[in-house]
Amino acid sequence: MAYEMIMKPMTFKITWKDGLVITPWERPIGPTHGPSDPSLPSGSPVKDALDLAQDVPHSPLDQFAIKSFLDMRVGYLYISFTNPTFFMLLTLGLVFLLFHLVTKKGGGKSVPNAWQSLVELIYDFVPNLVNEQIGGHVKQKFFPCISVTFTFSLFCNLQGMIPYSFIVTSHFLITLGLSFSIFIGITLVGFQRNGLHFLSFSLPAGVPLPLAPFLVLLELIPHSFRALSSGIRLFANMMAGHSSVKILSGSAWTMLCMNDLFYFIGDLGPLCLVLALTGLELGVAISQAHVSTISICIYLNDATNLHQTFFIVIFL
Amino acid sequence: MTRMEKFEMLEGAKSMGAGAATIASAGAAVGIGNVFSSLIHSVARNPSLAKQLFGYAILGFALTEAIALFALMMVFLILFVF
Repeated sequence: MAYEMIMKPMTFKITWKDGLVITPWERPIGPTHGPSDPSLPSGSPVKDALDLAQDVPHSPLDQFAIKSFLDMRVGYLYISFTNPTFFMLLTLGLVFLLFHLVTKKGGGKSVPNAWQSLVELIYDFVPNLVNEQIGGHVKQKFFPCISVTFTFSLFCNLQGMIPYSFIVTSHFLITLGLSFSIFIGITLVGFQRNGLHFLSFSLPAGVPLPLAPFLVLLELIPHSFRALSSGIRLFANMMAGHSSVKILSGSAWTMLCMNDLFYFIGDLGPLCLVLALTGLELGVAISQAHVSTISICIYLNDATNLHQTFFIVIFL
Repeated sequence: MTRMEKFEMLEGAKSMGAGAATIASAGAAVGIGNVFSSLIHSVARNPSLAKQLFGYAILGFALTEAIALFALMMVFLILFVF
């Protein structure tokens, strides 16, 4: 009995008294409309449910569905205004609004208030990363690109934590587009800066010559994987985190409503778990933006400096 | 076999696949423990660097957690998409 009480809310199955088991998100095979099966007993809730069910059941992955608001089509290209488009514009609007409100009328005060501290924190975060990771004298040229990437992924991740909002970076296409474009950019920068010596970075020093072509070809595989890895990491973290929260909150809702005597004061266990998981999700949102930015800096370092390290000796 | 029986078999197979795919988070658990164990060792050696080392530890945690979440993503793929 206790086992059923714990395990039963974790599933989404509905078992009616005549033994029919329905999972709410099973995609219906066959007609969902029309008269229900006449062999079902007439007072049965199954019959009523099937009669009333006119829309597709819900799944925990439905929060990632892309709906288009305005369909626009140019030949083979679909340039419709969709869910991710709207939320990306909303993110950009939020970033611009925040930065504008802090820096208007001459650019803030010397003693910063809380909003200015926050903006300064976000703005100062990237030059520290760039200085630290990329050696040599070319570092500050890449600061705007990396700063925009970091701010975009940070605000997109955080904005997805708002309930009933849409997480832009939880789509593989968006994060892959970002990471792939940056990878192509880094490769181009490497070739532009170092010429064909760029290929020498895949060859460590002191390797005998017959082994060289084999090593270079083998090195191409992890190098190309970098294009995918940043995108997949961000996508997997966001999607898995939000799916977990959705599933657990469905279970929490079921358990909250389970008590017949006091409605809505049921078991609070899964609700505390959802609270803790949401806190973890917030931490993961910020930390994944940080991790993707650091990995971009590391790839840039590899491309421009070719495994060389500059020893800076400071005489105090 | 009726349609509902086929449904239930598919459902059972999906659950089994999801359960098997969750075993991959064991490796991630070992990895995260490793990261924080190194943090404790290195802070014990050099407590003045504690803040910087903690930053590195959080970075390592995020990267290792990503692998666990790859496995979780496969679980959701098996459960809800197929």
